[in-house]
Amino acid sequence: MLASLIGGFLIIITGIVHQHEALIAVDWNVIFFLIGMMLVISVLKKTGVFMYLAIKTAKVANGKPLMIMILMFLVTAILSAFLGSVTTVMILVPIVLLISGELKISPIPFIITMVIASNMGGAATMVGDPPNILIGSATDYQFLDFLFNLTPPVVIITISSIVLIKIIYRKQMRVSNENRARLMSYREATLIKDRKLLVRSSIVLLLMLIALSMQGILKLETATVSMSAGLFLLLISDRKKVESVLTNDIDWMTIFFFIGLFMLVESLVQTGFIDITAQRIVAATKGQPMMASMMILWLSGIFSAIIDNVPFVAAMIPMVQKMGELMNNTNAMHPIWWSLALGTCLGGNGTLIGASANIVAVGIANRNGFHISFKQFTIIGAIFTLNSLVISTLYILIRYF
Amino acid sequence: MLLASFLDPRLIYYEKRILTKEQVYHEMIKKICAHNTIPIPQDELYQLLMERDRESSTAYSTGIAIPHIRLSGFEDTVIGMCWLNNPIDYNGQEVSWIVLIISDKTSSKLYLNIVAALLKVSKDDALMPVLRHEHDGHGVLFALKKAEIKVKENLTIGDIMIRDVMRILPTASLREIGSVFNEKGYSVLPVTDEGGRYLGEVNILNLLKVGIPDYLMMIGNLDFLQNYEPLEQLFEDEDRVLVKQIMSTDNETVSSDASIIEAVFEMIQNNKRSICVVDHGKLVGMVTAMDIFRKIIKA
Repeated sequence: MLASLIGGFLIIITGIVHQHEALIAVDWNVIFFLIGMMLVISVLKKTGVFMYLAIKTAKVANGKPLMIMILMFLVTAILSAFLGSVTTVMILVPIVLLISGELKISPIPFIITMVIASNMGGAATMVGDPPNILIGSATDYQFLDFLFNLTPPVVIITISSIVLIKIIYRKQMRVSNENRARLMSYREATLIKDRKLLVRSSIVLLLMLIALSMQGILKLETATVSMSAGLFLLLISDRKKVESVLTNDIDWMTIFFFIGLFMLVESLVQTGFIDITAQRIVAATKGQPMMASMMILWLSGIFSAIIDNVPFVAAMIPMVQKMGELMNNTNAMHPIWWSLALGTCLGGNGTLIGASANIVAVGIANRNGFHISFKQFTIIGAIFTLNSLVISTLYILIRYF
Repeated sequence: MLLASFLDPRLIYYEKRILTKEQVYHEMIKKICAHNTIPIPQDELYQLLMERDRESSTAYSTGIAIPHIRLSGFEDTVIGMCWLNNPIDYNGQEVSWIVLIISDKTSSKLYLNIVAALLKVSKDDALMPVLRHEHDGHGVLFALKKAEIKVKENLTIGDIMIRDVMRILPTASLREIGSVFNEKGYSVLPVTDEGGRYLGEVNILNLLKVGIPDYLMMIGNLDFLQNYEPLEQLFEDEDRVLVKQIMSTDNETVSSDASIIEAVFEMIQNNKRSICVVDHGKLVGMVTAMDIFRKIIKA
């Protein structure tokens, strides 16, 4: 994280980019959108509703491991679509560690499948995954555009992934009745401490989603919507804790990472690197939108697996914009943008380091003595990624061409 | 100012009989009242002295006890001194030198400086035998003058710290540290290597934390758990987990010449009730907030 900020200023010191240009390159809409979301989530988290959901899920599954895994997969995907993949993983992985500890089974399959679910769910909406947030802010696409174009393929991919889970994990995991009984004795109702705050913050969250869907009419940018919701929730919750929320609950490391990243990408633009790459891709695909979409989808899918998908998409955005200029056909650009979104978000599942959620989840598992190796993750991740990219390919081809 | 200047040779004496603390106190008060005008009667003075002693021990690890009475409107400091041939037991601490101080309620700084000087004398291996072999107050005064013991040095952590602190090696097991905590009633111990080099601290919360994995800390609200097995399993890990795995190494320490305020500042800043005293990397003692409260504030 620090490397990005150091890099951001290094390009200024070395004279590659003027400070003024580097600072203007920072997309403050993204930065404040992230801060607003972090505020909303910090208040929602305090209501205990996420933990309630997770424990309730395990109990609804009757403590049966495969069922818990499938339901957790769904819950993770849905929560990620609205809260973001990283946050969801941070909230749910500790609970899965607790549940698997009680059931005396390995948490690793659960963690791996949940990470995969979080990247899938995140791909479905504009606010779900960092790559989509970046694309949404850089383009004219709005919340509803993402919903109409990306949610359908993600729903299909999620359903097919559940089938995959059943095939891969059906024979594993036995749980004794004694351990299951202990899980069933959890009193999840006690987790909701402040009902009033829960109702209020749910209403605010709902209003925020409505405002995002009506962006076109309201003429409000995403950062304004999320900051309004975040600040309002901060006001109606415990006001004595405002300072602690601002210092501890906002993930400043992520914020600074993004700031540095924008500056670094600006240096790629300024040096002409982006222009040259864009020209090459347009030349290679002979300016055909279908070829270009497929190339972007699979290249993004593969690259996002090998390197973190956030810096990748940050560099791809100016390139796709340049491609749009070169191809000079606005309609032809739609499938290319959606290919980029699907490719980067879903490609993040390819390896252990493909997306931020993967790194965060594996980090938590490691700290608790469960070591997930690169190979262990990649074997499972690659299967799901391949499945996702094949479905995305079919979707793009059928829907747009 | 020399310490000797505050002393009156008539109030310094050597006690050869075997007496109780109460008898010695009576005697000392009698001597003080015979040569000074004290605004309250002798038996009231004695009651105050006993009350102060009951509150907390006035004895220090060097074998000196400094009982103290504060009187409002007294506007003076009177010091009585008694050298005991037969040490008196102060709750486990042997005391062979009692110094009784009567001062004004407002002059606590001077009082603390006198205490600092007395403690310095009590630690002085060359001076103490000389003082002990004098026969009367004049001799004591002369020896103190000759040694140039002054009353202006500020009290340091070295004066009030506990010197013979128990320590534990990083290779000790949870079982060992657990039984020390259990038997001695300690809640924190310094960790040192065999050579006494300070490495860190291990406290009762470090110990309990072994039973609470990291993911539980991340969950934040554990109301829904009625019982939790890992906490019960803590004691199965007793021989496997070592002190070095659970000790904290980022604690602030102070040196023995640090001021009292510095130690208090560090303790408040880091929300701790004790602090290790480390000189040149070696552990030399420990001081607790309660020591400071009793020996400085309530002194």
